[in-house]
Formats: sequence, structure tokens, C-alpha cells
Amino acid sequence: MSTLVLDNGACFAKIGYSHEKVSVIPNCQFRSKTSRLKTFTANQLDEIKDPSGLFFILPFQKGYLVNWDVQRKVWDHLFGKDMFKVDFADTNIVITEPYFNFSSIQDTMNEILFEEYQFQSALRINAGSLSAHRYFHENNSELCCIVVDSGFSFTHIVPYCRGRKMKEGICRINVGGKLLSNHLKEIISYRQLHVMDETYVINQVKEDVCYVSQNFYKDMEIAQLKGEDNTVMRDYVLPDFSSIKKGFCKPREEMNFTGKYKTGEQILRLTNERFAVPEMLFHPSDIGIQEMGIPEALVNSINNMPEEMQPHFYKNIVLTGGNTLFPGFRDRVYKEVRALAPVEYQVSVVLPQNPICYPWEGGKLLAENPDFEEMVVTREDYEENGHYVCEEKFDI
Amino acid sequence: MAEKKTTGNRASIRSQDPNQRRVLDSMTRHRRLTRQLEALEKDNFQDDPHASLPQLVKRLPQFDESNESGKRRKKTRGDHFKQRFRKNFQALLEEEDLSVSEGPNYLIACAEPSKFPQRHFCAVCGFPSNYTCVSCGARYCCVRCLGTHHETRCLKWTV
Repeated sequence: MSTLVLDNGACFAKIGYSHEKVSVIPNCQFRSKTSRLKTFTANQLDEIKDPSGLFFILPFQKGYLVNWDVQRKVWDHLFGKDMFKVDFADTNIVITEPYFNFSSIQDTMNEILFEEYQFQSALRINAGSLSAHRYFHENNSELCCIVVDSGFSFTHIVPYCRGRKMKEGICRINVGGKLLSNHLKEIISYRQLHVMDETYVINQVKEDVCYVSQNFYKDMEIAQLKGEDNTVMRDYVLPDFSSIKKGFCKPREEMNFTGKYKTGEQILRLTNERFAVPEMLFHPSDIGIQEMGIPEALVNSINNMPEEMQPHFYKNIVLTGGNTLFPGFRDRVYKEVRALAPVEYQVSVVLPQNPICYPWEGGKLLAENPDFEEMVVTREDYEENGHYVCEEKFDI
Repeated sequence: MAEKKTTGNRASIRSQDPNQRRVLDSMTRHRRLTRQLEALEKDNFQDDPHASLPQLVKRLPQFDESNESGKRRKKTRGDHFKQRFRKNFQALLEEEDLSVSEGPNYLIACAEPSKFPQRHFCAVCGFPSNYTCVSCGARYCCVRCLGTHHETRCLKWTV
């Protein structure tokens, strides 16, 4: 009886058996201009020779699973003989869902897991709950923690106490990796080169070059200087998929500060975009989204909690999700929360080794937990009682 | 002899006839902003490369004798899903009908507006801005950026 842990994210699906390692696989389908007949699913991305102008088909919209056709195709590929070769009758599945998932989506997921794929038993849970479980496993003495899950579609800030999420404290900021990439595409398209179609390439640019600044206005001043004094400026070489397979950032020694480059490569010169784009996580109002940033929302969420618990929440802030990988993210969050929090409370912000797979690791620990059997819903249970038993048991 | 001051070739932007530059009102500006924010939610900015291909010939149903009832059941269920679950996010949200339920839900969980003042950046170069375009409300930092803005983006599309 094996357990498959699947962290079903909008950008990547983190999947693996609980006794094996995790694989991070894109959770969407791709179409390319060059190979016109084939639709590539999930990790078949590696087979595409020319990812320029890549067309994405995502099953998620605004963070919620709406397109079941695409999702089923991706799952068929992942569960099939090329990937995990799942033996459905003998497998439990732990699968993640977004917070406040709609009941129609939850019902559909039940139907698909039990009636179409026919898993032996299933557990539907929020990704943050798995992160909290992992955190409490490591820090046994702590009672409360607050999880910041900053992913592709949005960012959630969720307080957990004794393993249960506190619904009154959940805060959602509608800024995620997708918004950051699209904004970067827009500003590059306006200022330098038309890249609106190149989601894959610009995503790579964002991951390679962007960082979170510790002192925003000072960095802005430095970025306005000319020549060598401008330590913020970087040149990024775009891939042309024939000689340069993957884009890269030119090291400072090779940069040509005066005049143009002689070689035929396409270069993007990035100055304030490097830190202005991740700044949107901290100030969504920069772009016109009237919402609080991450540190402010953290403090707001903690203030909605009972007084006695507040110092415990400040001591246990956990950052997960892809956006936390920006260099300087953790230090910036600490600095801002420390400035906003009352002086007598201790503030501690934890960024795990691998923030993307942190919930998956929590799922792995949960599968090995002796209480696991009581938390799942078996197929027989579902067939007797229907959706009602899932609604009761799962705390979504 | 009083010397006439030569005006030279400098033309101030303000001397443009105000009747020629339309000024957008706040409702239009708000609509434009909403439009821009919605564009940021898009997955793709290009069309589907497969959209223009001719439809593949529909596979004829196979009337075979074998007892493949399980497989057939799966196929019909697949079509059933296709028709039922093609709703988009907005439709699902309305279906949930969250105004009647009590307690925290998807809409309440959304973050509130920030208590800090909004910062403004030049629409052209991205550095902190001090000035606003009279016609469309875009921010700019210096006269050169204003010139670029008028040439490229100002009032180029309106809602």
C-alpha cells in the first residue's frame, strides 16, 4: 500500500511516492509554433527544441482548478506508464487544494479521484497545512505558526494553531509569480524589445536576474547612475535556440558600458526592473492593485488573532512558495515585520532549504504518520456516503 | 533700440492647443486601469498555434463485440465532464453564492487596501515620478519621458 503525494500547484506539480524523492513537473500543456501537430504535456517540455513563443494551456485560472480536460490529461500522463506507473487500487493519494476551494470543484475532484481513477483512498488538504505539519514536526515545542505561501497565482497568509488553520486570519494577496512575469514582459516590451509572447524566456529572466532590494529608494538612485557606477545594471543575453540554448546574465567583467556590443546576440539591459518587479509583492499598490503587501498583511493577520497567541505567531513565520526564492526576500520580510511589530515581541522568519517542495515534504511526513489512516476517506466510504463524508472529514 | 527677443525653435508643450488634447475623466481612467490589470492575468498573449489547423477527422465509433463496458463507461463520462465543467472562474465564483454564507470565505479573505500611501513611478522609465500627464493621468519623471509618452502611449487606445 503506497502513498502518492501530489502538491497540485498552478505552475508546477510536485509529485512523488512517499518513500521516494519528489519531482517538480510543469502542470500544464504546451503548444509550439514549430511542431504544429503535437501538444506537449507536463515534462515533455524538455522535448521541445525551440521554446520561443511557447503557448501555455493551464488548467488553473486565478489559482483555482477550472479546466478539468487539461488537468486530466496531465494527470493521465503523470499517473501512466511513462512516469509513476500508479496502481490505483493499491495507492492512497494526498492531494493539495487552494484555500476556500469552491464546493463544485471539490465535488468534481472527489468524483475524478474515486470514480475515474479509482484510488484506494484519498486525502484532500491545503498546501499550507502540509507546510505547517512539516514545521511543527521539526519544532516540537512551538504551538503556533504562520505560513506565507507565495506562489504562481496569489499569496496566502495563514495562521496555524495546534495543527489547525485559523480561518479568520487567512489573508489573500492577488499578486503571484504570473503577475510578476507578465508585468516584466510589459515593461520590457515597452522599453526595449517586444517579448509579450515569450512567457518561458522571460520567466527565466525573472528567476535569474531579479532580486528584492533592502533599501528601495537607495537602489533607485544607484540605478540612475551612468557607466560603471551603476552596480545595479545587468545585461542579459537572450537565447536564440541555435547557438545559445539558454539565456544567461553577462558577468560584470564582460559588460560593455559605453557603446554597443560587437557580437550578434540580443541583449536586454535591466536596471530598475531587477528590483522593481519583486517589489510588487511588498507594495501591490505600485502597479495599482489596492491591496496590502506581504509584511503589512502578516501583521494585519496576526492582529486578528487572540492576544495571547500573537507573540507565538511572530516567532514562527514560515515562507514557502516559488516567489520566496528571490535573493533578499527573507531579510526584507524580517526587516519590515520587525518595524511594524510591537517592540516587546520576538520576530523570527524562517525560509526553508527548498521552499517549493516544503509542502510536499510535509505530505511525505503525514503519510508516515500513524494517524494517517483516520484522516483519509476510502473508496468504500465514498461510494456509500457520497460527497458528504468528504465534506465532513476534510478541512478545506 | 530694443532688441526683439528671439523665441528660437523651442516650443513649449504647454503651448499646444488645449482643445487638441482630450482630457480623460476619472471614470475612463479607472476603466483603463482595470483593463490593464486584467491583461496581467492572461496566460498567453498570442493565439493558439493549433487554432487554424483543420479539425482532425472524427474517429468513427467502433462497434466491436468484446465486453469493454468499463472502457466505454469511462469514455461517456469524459464527454459528460467536458460539457459540464467548461465554466470559467467567474461563473464558478458566482455559483458559490458567497454572500449568503457566514464566516470567512473567498471574498472576505482578500487583503484590504494598504495603509501606506501609493508610490508612483514613471510610465516610461520606471523611476520615481513627480508629475502627471494632463490628458490621461500617466505619471512621468522628466520632460523627456513626457515627450516619449505623448508620442507612444498617450490616448493611443481608450476604453
